[in-house]
Amino acid sequence: MKIAVLQFPGTNCEFETLVAVKAVGMEGEIFRWNRSAGELSGFDGFVIPGGFSYQDRLRAGVIASKEPVMSALKEEAGIGKPIIGICNGFQILVETGLLPGSIEKSSGNVDMALAQNVMVSQGKIVRRGYYCDWVNLRHEAPSKRCSGSFAIERGALLKIPIAHGEGNLVTTTPGLMKKLNDEGQVVFRYCDRNGRIINEFPFNVNGSTESIAAICNEPGNVLGMMPHPERAFFAWQLPAFDPRKQRPDEPGPGRRVFESMKRYIEVNA
Amino acid sequence: MKIIGLSDPEVQTSLRAAGIGMSVPEARTIAGVLGRDPTLTELFCYDAMWSEHCSYKSSRATLKEFLPTDGPNVVMGPVEDSGIVAIDDKWCVVISHESHNHPSQILPNEGAATGIGGIVRDVNCMGATVVATADPLRFGNPYGPKANKVRWVAEGVVDGIWQYGNALGVPNMGGDIVFNDSFDDNCLVNVVSIGIVRRDQIIRSRAPPLAGEKGYDVILIGKPTDSSGLGGVTFASEALCEEDEETNRGAVQIPDPFLKNVLFKANDDLFRLVREEGIEIGFKDLGGGGFTCATSEMGSSGGFGMEINLDDMHTAADFPAEVLSIAETQERFLIVSPPELREKILKIYNEDWDLPNVYEGARASVVGKINTGDRFTVTHKGEMVCDVPIQHLTEGIRYNRLELPRTIRVQEPDVAEPADYNQVLLQILRSPNIASREHVYRYYDTEVMGNAVIRPGEADAGLIAPVRGEKFGIALAVDSNPFYGRISPYWGGATAVAEAMRNVAAVGAVPSTLTDCLNYGNPEKPEAFWEFREGVKGLAESCKKLYLKGYEAQQQAVPIVSGNVSFYNESPQGSVDPSPVVACVGIMKDFSKAITMDLKKAGDKLFLIGPRFDELGGSEYYRTIFGETGANVPIVRFDLERNMIYAVIDAIEEGLLAAAHDISNGGLAASLSEMALTRPARFGLELDLDRVQSGDNDMRTDKLLFSESSGFVLEAKVGSETRLVELLKSYSLEPMQIGIVTGKRRIVMSRAGEYVADLDLDEARNAWTTGLVEAMR
Repeated sequence: MKIAVLQFPGTNCEFETLVAVKAVGMEGEIFRWNRSAGELSGFDGFVIPGGFSYQDRLRAGVIASKEPVMSALKEEAGIGKPIIGICNGFQILVETGLLPGSIEKSSGNVDMALAQNVMVSQGKIVRRGYYCDWVNLRHEAPSKRCSGSFAIERGALLKIPIAHGEGNLVTTTPGLMKKLNDEGQVVFRYCDRNGRIINEFPFNVNGSTESIAAICNEPGNVLGMMPHPERAFFAWQLPAFDPRKQRPDEPGPGRRVFESMKRYIEVNA
Repeated sequence: MKIIGLSDPEVQTSLRAAGIGMSVPEARTIAGVLGRDPTLTELFCYDAMWSEHCSYKSSRATLKEFLPTDGPNVVMGPVEDSGIVAIDDKWCVVISHESHNHPSQILPNEGAATGIGGIVRDVNCMGATVVATADPLRFGNPYGPKANKVRWVAEGVVDGIWQYGNALGVPNMGGDIVFNDSFDDNCLVNVVSIGIVRRDQIIRSRAPPLAGEKGYDVILIGKPTDSSGLGGVTFASEALCEEDEETNRGAVQIPDPFLKNVLFKANDDLFRLVREEGIEIGFKDLGGGGFTCATSEMGSSGGFGMEINLDDMHTAADFPAEVLSIAETQERFLIVSPPELREKILKIYNEDWDLPNVYEGARASVVGKINTGDRFTVTHKGEMVCDVPIQHLTEGIRYNRLELPRTIRVQEPDVAEPADYNQVLLQILRSPNIASREHVYRYYDTEVMGNAVIRPGEADAGLIAPVRGEKFGIALAVDSNPFYGRISPYWGGATAVAEAMRNVAAVGAVPSTLTDCLNYGNPEKPEAFWEFREGVKGLAESCKKLYLKGYEAQQQAVPIVSGNVSFYNESPQGSVDPSPVVACVGIMKDFSKAITMDLKKAGDKLFLIGPRFDELGGSEYYRTIFGETGANVPIVRFDLERNMIYAVIDAIEEGLLAAAHDISNGGLAASLSEMALTRPARFGLELDLDRVQSGDNDMRTDKLLFSESSGFVLEAKVGSETRLVELLKSYSLEPMQIGIVTGKRRIVMSRAGEYVADLDLDEARNAWTTGLVEAMR
């Protein structure tokens, strides 16, 4: 079971992502952008890690989305291999049209955007732009719905950090939000520590529509998420006030995303 | 340029007309050594290399006289781009600390960003993986006459730091911010970076042995050289004048974290290559002084000469030789390596990492050769534009500056005791210098790399666990209090070291090394030079008397392995308050034992160590409540200080403590409040002032609460109290059990059975979390 962790110029989370991939028992390697795209077919799954690919020129993710490796990745997605895009990886998947996966099938349109964070509290904008903190996520999809949350039960709470300037999911495509909800494509939402969805800052940390933190495509093999599961892989990485931090050998909440990917590949092999 | 035979005023005129900052006697010395009139390029090269920034011409003698730089854990002292200390037999921590003050005042965003960009290069070029940065910042008064400019600078600096560091992918693990009117026209932007490297994989910044005999290549990699940052070091070595702002802008460098991100990964491949080949290379970053500084220092420190051909350099346009020589174009490195590695090295940068396609004009180019001579020669378009003795160029010059104590009139104010302590406490918590730093550090990616154990805001120091499978942690804290420095430059220096060490001790780490960035005014003015000397003495005294833990018997000083001197932080309106900014690296054998400062459990007992003295000079209380400065600046009682630091480290190692926080700005009252206000902020506390010992007679309640004498507040774990008291006493400390953590959300303080303060936690938290937001809005 071999995972390619994609690397574009400006990617900056590939090393800790590879650590996470390997720590759950998968093989993996970093796949540099100028390698022959054809080699991608030799892998069983893909992670597009976070960072600032191509310096976020024009807008986050758009230049990487035009690379040959992304065309090759579309084909791999088409045959059901799992792809997880984290943070900038999510932005790239949106720019390629792999997420949410078009309403008009095979049109390849970009149907949504991850816009600049706008933090709103009590009707007022209290902050904009880049933000780094630990957030609580509620798993919205049923288990087995999506590759990256395959082994996570619906309603499970995960504490995972975010760090981004553009994670505010917006769309003007008619019917898209309804479809995402109806088809179980909303994978994670931001919530409070008890799992309540409160659609304002600091719980909805970036202003995202319906507090959405992660979505998958219709078949469920492609997942995009703004939070960084690879940074919550060990319990010792948790913030000071989390009681699990005192049990440093325990797995962290983010580990479940990588375990899910592994399980998904095992089941679909 | 003609110098020989011209009068002093004539030489002065032509130097200035050419944009050269050196003095006339300096120019004459150069002409004398060369035996002819120097070329324009030669003068520019000397101007950069002999600048205060590159040559430490005013400061070197003082640093050598006082600062301890050696120790049993020192792998490399302050000789190259970064200092290195051992963590264990295998791993080392690499640290560097610099200022980027002038550029940040002129163009805050670019100035601060290139500060981060430069400091991470210094660490990376030792063969290290950069794992953290920290940024001590000093801004003017956000409510003073220059409030608009001050806020513009502060916002731009913070933006520059996060935009660069986040994109590069290096977490920002600490820093501090102080607002003070002496920084109205001269902000201070210091930058600290640490890295880790295996002891057997350190790469040196000098041409290796036999490089001359074997004609090693000089390879320049990175961004194409342009004219940005032209004269940056000269600009940094002069006072700031507003009328020069237009020209100074050209001296500010242009940052590119994106290219740096790719370069770092390519550098890793270079390091791997030389390990596999078993060949030693020289590797250095290009920073202040640009190409000339990096090349000549690399050659001269190996004892070789060097020949450069500027026509082989990759450039952004056709620039004159003197521009190519000293422009401070960012994101460049220099390699000195044997010819047999040439093709492999060029392939790493130009093909594997595809620099030419990643960034227009970027690449690796062979630009010269090392030789066994003693000259530094540069040709451009077939002409010899520079031919100078390499050692003469790099050794610089020395000045013995005059020092004269500054006469400062200080006195203790005669103020009435406040009637309403709730209001006083709220005012202190809302003060921009005390309020929560959350508004700023949420811009910083503290999580990238996945190494963060303790983050900014959670404790007095940040802590990372940078190597999977290893248990050690590295703590980092920075400190310097300009208000103390204003009253006493000496105690300003001494307290900076003590507090930085307290900060890393408060998470459980052992202070291992320090760095200093010495920010002062114009050293040609005897009062400014005196302040500098006093500050260095104070730093040194603390290092020497607080000892490296584990080596007390030998009275081993804590070594200072890296640092920087930043003079000329002044404008016609005056100079900055003396600011010897210190960073302290602490090592923890087992990071899982580290603790934070938030209160953990209702019913836990709170202990104080460090009696309160009448030391409110420069205090938050005098300043914020009365607008006074005072005179009784906190001093360092070296034996007491050392015992407190050691005892706290041992108590955390033994697992006796649930939380710890040191006492500094705002005194005991602020420290206790911060422990309650830090997330998750679920507990209140009760303080019994009758239990607080004062070192001076009859201290009033306000002085007990707000004295900034050194100390710690410790939350004992249930059942550990007896052992804790025993441990503290073994260090000759007198533990004071001053209070208790409560389940009520109130901060309660009482004396002689009467309430002094009784504050709602949410009200206090609101004041504490909005203070900085309002100051930077």
